[in-house]
Amino acid sequence: MTDQERIQRMARRPINRRGFLSLMGASAGAAALAACTGPAGSVRPSGAASVAPSASAGGGASPAASFEVETELLTYNWSDYVAPENIETFKQRFGVENFGYDIFANNEELLAKLQGGATGYDIACPTAEYVTGMAEEGFLQELDLSRIPNMQHINPTFRKTAWDPEDKYIVPKDYGTTGIMYRKKLVPEPVTSWREFYDLTKGKYSGKTVFVDSMGDVFPFPLKMLGYSLNDNDPAHLKEAGDILLELAPHVHSLDSDTYQVKLANEEAVLCLGWTGPIVDLRADPATADTQYIVPSEGTLYWLDTWVMLADAPHPNAAYAWLNFIHEPEIQKIETESNGYATPNDAAKALVDPEMLADQAIFPPEDVIANLEGSLDHSGVQQRADIWAEFKSKIGG
Amino acid sequence: MTAAADVQTGAPEATYRGGGWRSRLLTALLVLPASIWYLFLLVLPLAIVLVFSFGSRGPRGGFTPTFSLDNYANVFRAVGVDPFINSLWMAAAGTVGCLLVGLPLAYYIATRAGSRKGLFILLLVIPFWVSFLIRTYAWFLILDPQLAVAAVRDLLGNPEFNLLGTPWAVLTGLVYGYLPLMVFPLYVTLERMDRTLLEASKDLGAGRWATFRQVTLPIALPGLVTGSILVFIPMMGEFVIPQILGYGRTFLVGNALYLDFLEFRNWPAGSAKAVLLIIVMLVTVTFYLWFINRGRRTRETSVL
Repeated sequence: MTDQERIQRMARRPINRRGFLSLMGASAGAAALAACTGPAGSVRPSGAASVAPSASAGGGASPAASFEVETELLTYNWSDYVAPENIETFKQRFGVENFGYDIFANNEELLAKLQGGATGYDIACPTAEYVTGMAEEGFLQELDLSRIPNMQHINPTFRKTAWDPEDKYIVPKDYGTTGIMYRKKLVPEPVTSWREFYDLTKGKYSGKTVFVDSMGDVFPFPLKMLGYSLNDNDPAHLKEAGDILLELAPHVHSLDSDTYQVKLANEEAVLCLGWTGPIVDLRADPATADTQYIVPSEGTLYWLDTWVMLADAPHPNAAYAWLNFIHEPEIQKIETESNGYATPNDAAKALVDPEMLADQAIFPPEDVIANLEGSLDHSGVQQRADIWAEFKSKIGG
Repeated sequence: MTAAADVQTGAPEATYRGGGWRSRLLTALLVLPASIWYLFLLVLPLAIVLVFSFGSRGPRGGFTPTFSLDNYANVFRAVGVDPFINSLWMAAAGTVGCLLVGLPLAYYIATRAGSRKGLFILLLVIPFWVSFLIRTYAWFLILDPQLAVAAVRDLLGNPEFNLLGTPWAVLTGLVYGYLPLMVFPLYVTLERMDRTLLEASKDLGAGRWATFRQVTLPIALPGLVTGSILVFIPMMGEFVIPQILGYGRTFLVGNALYLDFLEFRNWPAGSAKAVLLIIVMLVTVTFYLWFINRGRRTRETSVL
């Protein structure tokens, strides 16, 4: 064996085990260094960290009654959903030093977090259909509307809604519709109804239609096309709607909630079942200024994003101050122009830039509003879930 | 192998003074941290998933404790067996892809790289530190129809040619994402290979391919098996890569699980699918190991 050992030792390269181990040590060191300078883990621009503490002099502006506003307000919201200048104004006027802004990606995440026991938030911004469920599970506080006098400016259509018939939990934030967006340059045919959308998707523009990846927003399309209410859960009607979706599945380009405007811009898709938010940017860019958005004639859903106060809010006075503040007409006007979504606040609407007011994609005309339906939360309806799962699995053939 | 040699010389026993129980206690204490880790982070979560799979969905989502086999009965109802079959295909293809790319790479680094061995390993490891999601999005940019792919499009003269949204993009993403996991076990095994055996084989008249097949490959086999398993199992559960690079058109088990847990909030149904996935993987890996090791025992002693 000794001869063998000697030969093996001669054949062995010098770097071998020792070199490998020292290399791993160097890698580990480099990793530790990388971790030190690591990325900013949190996505929230926490007020204390990113903004200098505001002057504590609120200028003596009238706070609500005799309630003292705390120096902190923690909100849980969609990303980029509040105009930064409004946050600044709020902080300075009420002497709030820390305005927390945590982000969730969708309502399910918000719900999952609350169900998982997250506490410490004052204000959240769910879509209206989730408010019913959140209230039932006891996550929300009933609002004392006498502390939010600016609610008087809200259009009656958005008061006492199907989701909150007694206005106990909701302060409306903004609303929009789910409709059809398309590149007029590339789609010369008229697109005014779900039926036309269906024909074009199945026929001439097969493979060039994008849907948003949201069960609640796609189901109204076949249901309304067939003339049913979009809250209809009759098994026979759902089956008909499901058949339509499955027929279309091979002709759909993809389901995409985040980058559908990119696909419209680079012409991978020409038709889109989507939301109105991106239209402002698409119109601003001259290359895509031909983008149109229409609310189909058969009707569609309108969604309502809402402000709610959480049951265990640690800073209720600041929360009430915010809810009242955000609906001051001037402030709400800045919100609308910054977000690109329609405001339910009539006084603010009168102040909005007329060009934006004239845009029917953002502010639908009165007769279209009559055709809009609010959608309730149907995520527990098994038949819808099955249809959606099958639809998703058959996308693109 | 070496373990057998140790038992014969009685080496481990002789190093512990005081006999059996103290050495057993020491062993138990050394293994304790890892056991606790596995208990709480592997066994317990699996048990929870198993329990959940027999429950039913709460009114607003989540889990209510009941005992029902509905979830298992309905596993294939909406999406059919397709996701499982697609996953098996994609994971197998991805493993083969990793092998085709990883084996030559590992062989080169182990035998031909010489003093630059460390550099190559570093180059392989560094991208692995970057977030998996970012690396996947990098491929989303690389395969962008308006960039490199456009050139290929012109070459082929086919205006509709696109890689994004096809299973090929998913395959590329899979192979790229898990390549280091295949290369490292292979590298370790090949690096320990006794070079003189190759010389002996050549002296005995075997050509390069015969040497590779009859000497190198059997020696690399343990690394190959480890690498394949390390790569196959995560690929079975992938959903990010099909969603981003495949535009969601390749519907895998991971995507079905995502729907159940995050969109329908139906944890019991998702848990049932997860348990089924685990069973499928256990069966597949066991079969694979049996297949590889069929004639192994006799060959092992002759090589070493």
